[in-house]
Amino acid sequence: MEDDMEGIELKPASMRRTFTLRNNVARQAAVNFMPSRKVAHTGTLRSRRANSEHNALLEASMSDAPDAADKQADIIVREMEQHHQLMEDNPLSEELRREALRDLPQGLTMKRNVRAKLSASVSLRSKQRPISVFKRMKYRISFTWKKSRDSFRDFVFSIELWYESIRNIEGHLGSAVGSYFHLLRWLFGLNLLLSILLISFVVVPQALHTGGTNGTSGISFLDFISGTGALEDTPLLYGHYHDGDTGAGPLRYDMAFAYFFTMGCAYLLFFGVLCYRTADSYRRHFIEPAGGGGGGGGGGVRARLAAKLFCGWDFGVASPRAAALAARALAHEFRELLNEQNRKTEAASFWVRLGRRSTNVVITTIVLGLIFGVQYGLWLLLSVDTFTDHREIYISLIITAVAAVCPILLNFIVKLEFYEARTAFYVTLARTWLLDIGTLILLLVFWTRSDMPCWENRVGQEGYRLVMLDIPVSLLLLPAIEFIRGLMFNFNVVKTAPEFNIAYNSLTLIYNQSVLWFGMLFSPLLVVAVTIKFLLLFYVKRESALRACQTGKKVWRAAQAQTVLLMLVTLSLFATLFALGSLFLRSPSPHCGPFRRYASALGVLAEGALRLPERAGLRRALLFVSRPGAVAFALLALCVSVYIVRARSGAQQSMARLLRRMLQLQAKDKDFLLSAIEKVSNGEWLYSPKSEEYGADSHTWKYLHEVRKPSNAGYHFDVSRLSHSFLERPRSYAKENRPNSYQTDKQKSNEDGDTDSSFSWQGSSSYLNQTDAEKR
Amino acid sequence: MGNKVVTFTEQQLEDYQDCTFFTRKEILRVFKRFREVNPELVPKRMTENQAHTIVVPVEEIEKLPELKENPFKRRICEVFSHDGSGNLTFEDFLDMMSVFSEAAPRDIKAWYAFRIYDLDDDMFIGREDLLEATRLLTKGELHPHERDEIVASVLDEADVDGDGRLSFMDFEHVVVRAPDFLSTFHIRI
Repeated sequence: MEDDMEGIELKPASMRRTFTLRNNVARQAAVNFMPSRKVAHTGTLRSRRANSEHNALLEASMSDAPDAADKQADIIVREMEQHHQLMEDNPLSEELRREALRDLPQGLTMKRNVRAKLSASVSLRSKQRPISVFKRMKYRISFTWKKSRDSFRDFVFSIELWYESIRNIEGHLGSAVGSYFHLLRWLFGLNLLLSILLISFVVVPQALHTGGTNGTSGISFLDFISGTGALEDTPLLYGHYHDGDTGAGPLRYDMAFAYFFTMGCAYLLFFGVLCYRTADSYRRHFIEPAGGGGGGGGGGVRARLAAKLFCGWDFGVASPRAAALAARALAHEFRELLNEQNRKTEAASFWVRLGRRSTNVVITTIVLGLIFGVQYGLWLLLSVDTFTDHREIYISLIITAVAAVCPILLNFIVKLEFYEARTAFYVTLARTWLLDIGTLILLLVFWTRSDMPCWENRVGQEGYRLVMLDIPVSLLLLPAIEFIRGLMFNFNVVKTAPEFNIAYNSLTLIYNQSVLWFGMLFSPLLVVAVTIKFLLLFYVKRESALRACQTGKKVWRAAQAQTVLLMLVTLSLFATLFALGSLFLRSPSPHCGPFRRYASALGVLAEGALRLPERAGLRRALLFVSRPGAVAFALLALCVSVYIVRARSGAQQSMARLLRRMLQLQAKDKDFLLSAIEKVSNGEWLYSPKSEEYGADSHTWKYLHEVRKPSNAGYHFDVSRLSHSFLERPRSYAKENRPNSYQTDKQKSNEDGDTDSSFSWQGSSSYLNQTDAEKR
Repeated sequence: MGNKVVTFTEQQLEDYQDCTFFTRKEILRVFKRFREVNPELVPKRMTENQAHTIVVPVEEIEKLPELKENPFKRRICEVFSHDGSGNLTFEDFLDMMSVFSEAAPRDIKAWYAFRIYDLDDDMFIGREDLLEATRLLTKGELHPHERDEIVASVLDEADVDGDGRLSFMDFEHVVVRAPDFLSTFHIRI
């Protein structure tokens, strides 16, 4: 036995495994009777899986016996039967059983066995108790909800647009680039839905109403791009919409209502979906990996090394070229991390850090000033009145150029600052986003403030122009550049292959989507334009990605970057809603559009739908709620609750850390105790810590080796044994079976030594005083 | 009016839906991929027990495009096969794809990742396992002493109970802190 313990590292793996498992079977028997195993879990059974000993046992019984699989299934079923909640005969338990089955880390064949046995067992035990009506309804509701969610998921999945293409791209360029295409596809799907909604409720009734009265005179190319001229009186723009009832015959269709409510639903729906998805993504990628960002310093590098070793290979890579590149990139990063670890980084002195911080602050101020300067310049441009023809196109061209070039510029600027790589990336993203949103809000404010009649048309036209003018840039110019660079790389003119710049492309997506939101209220057909544009964008980007680009050297943290991008999209929508709400809804639009008859756009809701002038009580209630005081109070309450929730989550995080540490210690304790049990069951009765830890003259050592002899079965110690009856005990048996490691190679010292004050039985000293010969 | 070949019975499909993270359509797609590996061996009808008797040898499974470039392809097949040899039945294959799918939760993936990285199958990730894993991942590009350094650092960092090798708890502890685990341990079928 002793030799086995020492030689274990040298034995082949299979024997090592059998050895571990043979012991584990004894352990498992002990473990099975622990009280913690009998407790019914109220949650899912996921926590059970972490017990590797349990699974080891299951693997152990994998023998060649034909019914071994059956026996395993029986073991599993027996364990599951201990949880009473699983074994009931209602839909809720069915769901729990299904979840438990899915979480079993067993093969599929085994799971089917278990499932069959489990249902047999359940039907055996089911006592058909009458369930109360309330419970039955609850079950039915939750069940139908689950079913409808599943079938919706099935339906969405069965659409499968571009599934193969995205898989192909992922295989070649990695899952980070794939995530960009997933975002594109998702936005395209949502836009498509929106356009269907808008067309069916808003555009079609209007078109039916006008009925093609005046034939369109030829639309010139410039007019088409800028949305002016002949296009002004089409359903493209807000001004065209009729303000009263449309509809044939007895059917009454109020255009104003339709417009307002459709737009409202579209915005709120989009907002809800986005919030949900952002929160879900945030939870999955930031909160669940506990302590996500990783600390700095030495421990951080090691943790990153471990994470890179275990999570560094993207399992979706499928092409040989990509795999070779990925292997090389991984080797490169390992080397970098090793260098970082070996380098003795002196902590920068206080002055250096201060210098760095102040540089950052200065450059941030400069950038913010630049952004404001650009906005101001834009404002001036808009207000200036010279060279009026085609002025709008020039302005939009300028805006587009600025939006296209700025990310590159900001990327360059951020290199001058002292940020870590990921913080630098997020900083650039934030600044670019600020620039884009600032521009759009500026346009809105300008046109709202101007006293032009029908200014809403202008805003719609701006949005339309921006989208149109961005097409040559993003669909023609940039792919052309990438293609040319790819060709140059192929002919060895340039050293590095073009990478697919995920950040820049994602920013383009966000920019387009923000423009859509700002313009959608004033130009319903803009959604269609953006949808078509995204469609074309997908194909163009796909070609450019597959043919020209290669995987980058740096591995992109796809998961967290995706969350940040989604957050930016949500923030854009939020800013849009805020701007539109404060600027447009309150003010009258008397000259054109479907809200001509009402005092303000909100009047549709107030006078039309709710009929507030007639219901004084409701009006007073609503007035009270919308007073600044009430709103401020609500906002304050919201802030306070957010703070409370955050504080609580911080406390819970530190609690979780503490508990995890405790768990580790408990696991070590349990391990120790279990191995002691093993040894006891194998006939080794001695409690023995490692003997090397105690010096030969320590009292503990003496106590253990001389007073508490092996044959004592040390735990039931009574003093009466010590003095005389001890000599009559048959000691030879114990001595021969005592394993070698416990045989002391050290001399047994005969000195009495002073016993510690804690060992105060006087009996021991008499024993210790005996000579060696008598002891044997 | 042709006779449509029914691949699976309703009962089978329901079983599979309950025991894996796939929907009906995904299961059929997985079957299509499985059949593409060896169309002569795998019949179109799997309504009797062909799903767990017909075995495709490991060399052919490794030729699948999803697995071809994976450094751990042999070990993956061994982990998911019913007898440890790497030859997969359809149910093994479905199980494998289910674990690698997007819907599988983090702890299931962590368990199977642990078994995959445990190259010598002793329920612990020891030093040799880590060395071999490093070599496979970088396709031999790192020098041996660099590999040693990496393995020493990783063991230092992750081995909580101090026995010189990683148990499942240690491994899970590392992997839970890595936010990329879910997105890299993912094969789309």
